[in-house]
Amino acid sequence: MSEQATAVRYADLGLEVGTPDIKSVGAIAFGPDGILFVADNQSASIFALGFGPAGPAPDSQAFAIEDLDARLASRLGCARGDVSIRDMAVCPLTKEVYLSVMRGNGSGAIPVIARVEADGQVVDIPLEGVPFASTTIEDAPDPGDERIDTLVLPDDSAEGEEFKTGSGIRLRLLRDGLRTVTVTDLDYVDGTLLVAGASNEEFSSTLRRIPFPFNGAARSNSLEIFHVSHGKYETASPIRTFVPYNGGGSILASYTCTPIVHFSLDELEPASHVMGSTVAELGSMNSPTDMVSYRRDGEEYLLVATARLPLVRIACADIDGQEALTEPEEPVGVPREELSHPGVLRMANLDDGSVVMLQQNGDGPVSLRSYECGSL
Amino acid sequence: MSKRRRLRIELSTAEGPHRVRLLGLPRETLLRLRGLGERELADEFPVYPREHLEGGVRPLDAMAGLYEVGPDALAFVPRYPLVPGLDYTMLAPSAEAEAQRVAFRLPLAPAEPTTEVLAIHPSGDRLVRNQLKLYVEFSASMSEGQAARHVRLERAGTGEPIEDPFVPEPELWDRERRRLTLLFDPGRLKRGLRPQLEAGYPLREGVAVRVVIGEGFRDADGNPLRARFERRYEVDGDLRDRVDPRDWECRLPTAGAAEPLVVRFDRPLDHALLQHSIEVTDDAGRPVRGRADVGPAEQSWAFTPAAPWPKGEYRLAVDPRLEDLAGNSLARVFDRDLERDEGAADPARESIAFTL
Repeated sequence: MSEQATAVRYADLGLEVGTPDIKSVGAIAFGPDGILFVADNQSASIFALGFGPAGPAPDSQAFAIEDLDARLASRLGCARGDVSIRDMAVCPLTKEVYLSVMRGNGSGAIPVIARVEADGQVVDIPLEGVPFASTTIEDAPDPGDERIDTLVLPDDSAEGEEFKTGSGIRLRLLRDGLRTVTVTDLDYVDGTLLVAGASNEEFSSTLRRIPFPFNGAARSNSLEIFHVSHGKYETASPIRTFVPYNGGGSILASYTCTPIVHFSLDELEPASHVMGSTVAELGSMNSPTDMVSYRRDGEEYLLVATARLPLVRIACADIDGQEALTEPEEPVGVPREELSHPGVLRMANLDDGSVVMLQQNGDGPVSLRSYECGSL
Repeated sequence: MSKRRRLRIELSTAEGPHRVRLLGLPRETLLRLRGLGERELADEFPVYPREHLEGGVRPLDAMAGLYEVGPDALAFVPRYPLVPGLDYTMLAPSAEAEAQRVAFRLPLAPAEPTTEVLAIHPSGDRLVRNQLKLYVEFSASMSEGQAARHVRLERAGTGEPIEDPFVPEPELWDRERRRLTLLFDPGRLKRGLRPQLEAGYPLREGVAVRVVIGEGFRDADGNPLRARFERRYEVDGDLRDRVDPRDWECRLPTAGAAEPLVVRFDRPLDHALLQHSIEVTDDAGRPVRGRADVGPAEQSWAFTPAAPWPKGEYRLAVDPRLEDLAGNSLARVFDRDLERDEGAADPARESIAFTL
C-alpha cells in the first residue's frame, strides 16, 4: 500500500495524526492494516497506533538475538535493569517484532514501543506525529469525575441504573469510585478488540469486547462481566493470558494456577455471566505467561508458557474432544507434552511456519529466538 | 601535546532536554561535520551507557538522540533523559588510532527518603484463615514491579517466610499507585482445588503472622521507604457464610438532631469496598448527604448527615458485592459448598429500612 493510501485507510479507521498521551505500555496486539493496539493501564486506555505504510513482508525471517534487553538498554540510554519488556507482538504485514517496554521506574518511567528489525537492530519508535485513536477501558459516563468507573451488571440485577445504548441494547450499569482495571491481555479478531482485565478491588474477572474502529456509541455496550465461576474448579481470578480460537469464535484463556479454559464467544449475550469449560489443568503454584497456537503437519497445536514449568504443547484436536473438567483433582484434562525451551516469557507467530519467543533464564539476559513450527 | 587530550564534555541539564556538548574538536573537524547528516554524525560519534560498551553485547545499538553541530561544539540531545549516576561514553573518531572514549555522568542528586507505609488493612489485629486480601497504604505514589521482592509474609513466632501467599501479577494498584492490594492466591483458599490440596492454606489457625514491607520498596521517584513496616496479625478460623445486613446492629439517631447513624457489623468487612458500598437514602430514594466513616477494625460504620435528620422513612442500601475478610459478599460465599444449597441472592437483605 502506498503511503497516501495508508493515510486514507487510517483516517477511515478513525486514526488522526498527533501525539498520543501514553502514560504506560502493557499488553500489545496487532489489528488490521498494521495497527498496533497498546494497553495503557495507567491512563486506563487503549491506543491504536498506525505505524505504516507497511513494507512488503520478507519471505522468511529468523531471529537469534541473545542480549535483547542489553541492546534495548543501550539504545534507550540506561542500564539493563532499567528496561522492562512488557509484551511482544509480530506485525502480520512486515513480520517485524514489536515490543512494549518501560524505560526506568516510577514516575520517571517512559513508555516505549520498540521494533526489532530484520537484521536484529532494535529501534525505538517515536510516538510524536503518529496516526492514532484511543478509547477508555472504563467507559466512565461522567468525564468530570475521573474517580468514577462503570460496571455492567446482569440484566436481571436489582441495582444500578438502566441505560439504553445507541444501538438499542439495554444495560444495567453501576457506577463506583476508585476501582481501577488492569488489562492483563488483549487481542484483535475481526473488528473486535478482546480485552481481559483484573480489578484492584472487587475479586472478579472481566472480558471486554471493544469494537474497532473506536466510536462512542459502540463503546458502552461492549463491556461485559465475565464470571468464571462454577463448581469446585471455580475461580473468579483474572484471565492472565488468552488466544483467539476457532477463528475468533472462542478463546482459550489461562489463569493463575493454572487451568486452561475454553469460552465460546458466539452466543455471548451482553452483560451475561458466561461459563467456561476447563479443558486442562497444568498444575498449582504456577502462573501462565503466554499462549500461542500454530499449525504443524496440518494439525493445530497450542503452546502454553508458565512461570515455573517447562513449555507445554497441547494438540487442539484434544481440546475439542475434551469434556469439561468438573472434578477437583483427577483427571487433569487433555494430554500435554513438555518442550525443552526454558524461561519463555512471551510467544508470537512470526509467520505460518515459525514462532518467535522471548526467553530469560533467571536474571540472565533476555533472548529473542525464532523456532520453526516443525521443531515445536 | 596531542589533540586527543583536549576533548571534553559539558552537560547542560537546565530547562528542557539534556544536552551533551563535545568540546575541543578542531575547527576544521567541526566544519566537516557541518556537512554531514544526522545518521552519519550518529555513526561517527555514537553514545553508549558505559556498561554496554564494556560488556559483551555485540553489535551495540547506540543511544537514540539528535546531533547538532555548533560553532564550537558538537551537541548530542538524547531522546531519553540521562540516568543520574550512570556512566556514559561518547566515542570520538580519531584518524591515527582507535576512537577516543569521552566519559560523562549526570551527578546523582542526594535523595532523602520521604515515603512511608501509612497502614496495612484490615486495621484490626486478626485475620481469618481464608483471608482474601490485604491492603497496603503508602504516603506517596509508588513504583510498580516491586511488590514481589519487598513484601513478605512470615510466621510471627519463628520468622519463617510463607512461600508465595499472594498472586504475584498483575500488581493491583489504585489509580494514584498509593494503595496496593495483596490478593491471597485463591487457589489455596478454595477447598478441593489442587493447590489447596497440595500447598494448603497460606495461613494457619492460631499461628500469628507478620506482614513486612521492606524499605527497599521504591516510590515513584525511585527512592526507598523511610523505614521498613511491620504488622502482626493473629489468625482465626475460616469464615464461610454470606454477609447478611440483618445480622448488623443499628444505633439510630434522633430525628431533628445531626447525630450519626452507627452500624455495627457482625464481623469485620473489607476496608476498600466499605468506602463506597453503603448508602443512606430517604423515603424518595434520594441519597442523604453527609459523611461516612469506617470504624476501628472495619467493624462498624457511621454516617453523619450534613443537616439534622428530618422525620421520615429511610433505608440503608448495601451493595451486594460488599465483602468480608474472606471475600464472602451479600451475594455469595467465596468458597461455597456445592453440597449445600445456600439459596438465591435475596434483595431483601440488601437494604435495612428504618423510621425516624
